[in-house]
Amino acid sequence: MSASAATERKALAGAHRPSSLEASLTLDFARDESSGRTVLAASTQEPPLRVVRAFDLEDGSALAHLHNVSGGLLGGDHLALRVRVGPGSSAQLTTTGATRIYRPREESVGVTQTNEIQIAENALLEYVPDAIIPFAGARFSQRTAIHLAAGAGLFWWEILAPGREAHGEVFEYECVEMVTDVVAAERTIAAERVRLEPQKYALESVARLGPYRYWTTFYICRVGLGADAWLAAEQQLRDVAGKLVRPGEVLWGMSTLMAHGLVVRGLARHGRDVQEGLHAMWRASKLLLYGREAVQPRKVN
Amino acid sequence: MDFDRAAAHPSSSNLLAELRLVHLADSALPIGAVAHSFGLESLVSEGLLTVSALPDFFRGYLEEAGAMEASFCGEAFRLGAAGEEIFSNDKSPEWWGKKWVEINGRLSALKPARESRAGSAVLGKNFLAAVMALGDFPALRAALSATRESLDPKGSAIHHATAFGLAAGVLGLSEDRAVLAYLHQSVASLVSACQRLLPLGQSEATRILWNLKPTVIEAAARGAARDDGDACCFMPLLDWGAMEHTALRTRLFVS
Repeated sequence: MSASAATERKALAGAHRPSSLEASLTLDFARDESSGRTVLAASTQEPPLRVVRAFDLEDGSALAHLHNVSGGLLGGDHLALRVRVGPGSSAQLTTTGATRIYRPREESVGVTQTNEIQIAENALLEYVPDAIIPFAGARFSQRTAIHLAAGAGLFWWEILAPGREAHGEVFEYECVEMVTDVVAAERTIAAERVRLEPQKYALESVARLGPYRYWTTFYICRVGLGADAWLAAEQQLRDVAGKLVRPGEVLWGMSTLMAHGLVVRGLARHGRDVQEGLHAMWRASKLLLYGREAVQPRKVN
Repeated sequence: MDFDRAAAHPSSSNLLAELRLVHLADSALPIGAVAHSFGLESLVSEGLLTVSALPDFFRGYLEEAGAMEASFCGEAFRLGAAGEEIFSNDKSPEWWGKKWVEINGRLSALKPARESRAGSAVLGKNFLAAVMALGDFPALRAALSATRESLDPKGSAIHHATAFGLAAGVLGLSEDRAVLAYLHQSVASLVSACQRLLPLGQSEATRILWNLKPTVIEAAARGAARDDGDACCFMPLLDWGAMEHTALRTRLFVS
């Protein structure tokens, strides 16, 4: 057995885990011109990050599951995800389950994750992961930069859970920081800089989450579509969301971005309402923007 | 003591600067601020914001949006303070105009709700116009030109926080005081909006604003500690309110 295979096997078995990890996952999707389908043309993977394989979807897209074989993220871990979706190709990324952020050691800096996403001309990326669950005491920092070329499309959501609710942990993490930039035609069309420190600044304040516990943000973009089209899309999604809103339980809002897209924001008391709403709006917007159905990802373990 | 004498008799230029700042931050400055609730109207409509919740809400507002806008106000101030002497024929050095457009572009990107984004841009443009009507300020004209000549003139905005900071810098005011004044007028404007939306009386409104002053100071300090690239803001309920304001059946406010 080679040295690298032995290392990976140990990581998979969980027999040894260094006190902090630097790992990266690079995925290159490309369109196969002979079949017209998208394939995972190349990947480099460092444990614990793993993509076993890409699956063909019925619409010609490729589906890949982002897998952290160590089960969660520990303090000191630095993970880097790089995704390139080549011209004319179409990829869908999901997770195998929620991303768990564990409490770090006292001396640890917390978990950092960087996501560098490049979507080429007329390509499409659908990033539809499960929630991020920060455990009590967790420290997590995520930086995401998404670059969209001419005609590129994006469906990208993030869901932040309040903690391990079943264990009675609600807003007991130390810090979650999320920095996101969406750039289209070399212009930043959307940015988020959020820093949640529930022990210092109450998330239950009506200035923040109020009575809600889950927060989600969903970017829907297609470079080149005009402002009028986006206003119409905003209204159509508002009509969809109108059937899902239950004040006190779940709220949905949406607005066009500066250009090339719109953003949906959701707040909910229960995670199931977030998933239901996101999938409904994904289906509606994919049909509107691409004339085809959103293919719900099969989950694998 | 010389110090005591100076403190007791501030120079006329210092007094002039203070008075100008008070004037720029006055709610009576005709820029249209009274027309905007920036999403508060939706929160009230949904029963999410009540009079009793206002002190807590405004504290959180200053901790989040206030600190973020303070950061941008300060950044724009420093650009304005770069000195009018670098301009000639209303043309700024290329780096200056690009930086001005970039600061505003970044702030636009951080405002997810289009009505609030547009509202801030209207106030910013009106504020700049109001100050430009008061004197000859090549830097302010250059800022306006840079925005108009940017790659995307329709999409480029001049936000209220940055316009205020820029003007204060150009006028040679103090950065700390300018940011404090901006934050104070910003939250005062929202308290005033709440008087129209809620059964909030004048005395209670005054008391809320009076008690917020330490939080205004803290927000300014937090904004100064981070550059505009990392200025944070987490106000998802207000974001929702701002986004859904367009769908309200009856509206007192433009945003």
